Amino acid sequence: MSTAATTADIEALEAQARGLMATFTRAGYERVEPAVIQPAALFLDVIGEELRARTYVFTDPDGAELCLRPDLTVPTCRLHLERHPAGDVPARYCYSAPAFRYQAAGADRAHPREFRQAGIESFAAADREADDAGVLALTVEALRRAGLGRIEIRIGDLGLFAALIEALPMPERWRARLKHQFWRPDAFRAELQRLTSADALARGLPHDLVGRLDPADPAGAEAAVLGHLDKTGCELIGTRTAAEIALRLVDAAADLREKPLRAETAALIESYVAVKAPARETRDGLARLARGQGVDLSAGLDAFQRRLDRIEAAGIGIAGAEFSAEFGRNLEYYTGFVFEVIAPALGPRSPVAGGGRYDGLLAEVGAPGPVPAVGASIHTERLLAALQDAGQEAAP
Amino acid sequence: MNGKLVLALPSKGRLMEQCTAALAAAGLGIVRTGPARGYKGEIEGWPGVEVNFVSSSEIAQLLRTGAAHLGVTGEDLVRETMADADERVRFLGGLGFGQADVVVAVPACWLDVRRMADLEEMSLLFRRLHGRRVRVATKYMNLTRRYFAQAGVTGYRIVESLGATEGAPAAGLAELIVDITTTGATLTANGLRILDDGVILESQANLVASRVAPWSPELAAIEAQISARFTGA
Repeated sequence: MSTAATTADIEALEAQARGLMATFTRAGYERVEPAVIQPAALFLDVIGEELRARTYVFTDPDGAELCLRPDLTVPTCRLHLERHPAGDVPARYCYSAPAFRYQAAGADRAHPREFRQAGIESFAAADREADDAGVLALTVEALRRAGLGRIEIRIGDLGLFAALIEALPMPERWRARLKHQFWRPDAFRAELQRLTSADALARGLPHDLVGRLDPADPAGAEAAVLGHLDKTGCELIGTRTAAEIALRLVDAAADLREKPLRAETAALIESYVAVKAPARETRDGLARLARGQGVDLSAGLDAFQRRLDRIEAAGIGIAGAEFSAEFGRNLEYYTGFVFEVIAPALGPRSPVAGGGRYDGLLAEVGAPGPVPAVGASIHTERLLAALQDAGQEAAP
Repeated sequence: MNGKLVLALPSKGRLMEQCTAALAAAGLGIVRTGPARGYKGEIEGWPGVEVNFVSSSEIAQLLRTGAAHLGVTGEDLVRETMADADERVRFLGGLGFGQADVVVAVPACWLDVRRMADLEEMSLLFRRLHGRRVRVATKYMNLTRRYFAQAGVTGYRIVESLGATEGAPAAGLAELIVDITTTGATLTANGLRILDDGVILESQANLVASRVAPWSPELAAIEAQISARFTGA
């Protein structure tokens, strides 16, 4: 199992990259070259511990903690914010450059530790659905021009899940919890079950303290927490303050005063998450599911359909694409539309391209508020492998 | 290798003494050979075995790469050193010493955090208030990542800690820790409490066989004899 690319492979990759970049720049995307070496702290805070475990982190002679970028999206966000600190100026960037990830199961052709990403990112565009469709269409166009014939597309929409949760009756903080836990299927199910049971909501809490807390009186709650710690001989140590601890206990006290989530509501959420259907049947199917519980999802579903129509109009056959309600669950920073392009030669475990909407990421990297953002990247080694395996000739 | 079965044992400290005693109790007398403080040895009456004395963290590495056939080391170190431990080694049995639990411990004053699930939710508020992720001090980076991922906890960062980990929260170097504990007294003394579902692993010294070492039928037979001394099989 060799991980080193041959000279012929490198030349083929470079020729392929030139073609991809020509497609991107012709579509109005500006070519950028973000830094390879990134500050570890900021980068790792954004991507989370799972990708961190696969990121090459090192210390330079001054003691600064640095990393080799594990993807190009975060560095491109940083570059955008250097130019426009508020992030809200519309801009379109493309890149073709190496990224680096440790492969725990060993590196191979479809999972190299140094791989070239060719990608596009569009920031601060006003019409989200049109921009989503544009990014998918351009990605597919670039793959086709590179010579990839048969492809399969999978899509998801994290915005629909958010819309469903918004439409269901429950306290705002429960919505926030469910949206947050959506990324972790087991934890999500556990939280959903917990919210349906008053006993479960009360479990593990210091009851004598929580019973006395008044959600309308945060200062009183902080004093009560300090009093409780004092009485039980427990010292307040570390970075979290008594006020912080009190804030969470006040939430718990408020939870105990709520009616638990209805079992039917929890069941509706579970059945939504399980939905898998061809894209063209998605709107009607989901509308039916929601209406059965008296829930109106039409705004989110209309946006979903508008996006599909745009993609169709761009000449991409999307009707037969698989929609999966939980697709995107393993990619934490996405917030809306998500997609993957699969080459039959490589299979669904190694998609040749993928992307989606991530309206929260620029704010995490330093923008003062959320900024619309959607992007996609092509795994160029996989693309080359798919072309070689399929024995297809690059289009002239 | 010279065709002998390589047995890696802890080279010093209490672990070495307990290990020698446990082997002696099983009828295996360990003698050091060569220079007085040599790092080589043998088992009396077992010419097919070569003993290497190395530091206990290195024993897991030797078993991982197959440079040792057998070793005595803690399950915690084995599982920390290899993500695919059950594919690379076989645990032949606990030896009844070196007991230690690898646990997730938080400041006892965190009245709002009892379970792993609370940790994830608390980390959201923490990040909003402090502008960074909650830090976990540990030397068990891999065990921590695996256990936290299993429990659905992702909003954290690991800071590597090579000693006195239990002091990190009070010193402001981390918010919580993953560390080993035997009685829990050190944790309590440092104002920490183990989460209700915070025991990652109940570890003890184990006789461990490498699956990837160069085994011959002769060496496998010796291994079976040694291992029978412990399991009573």
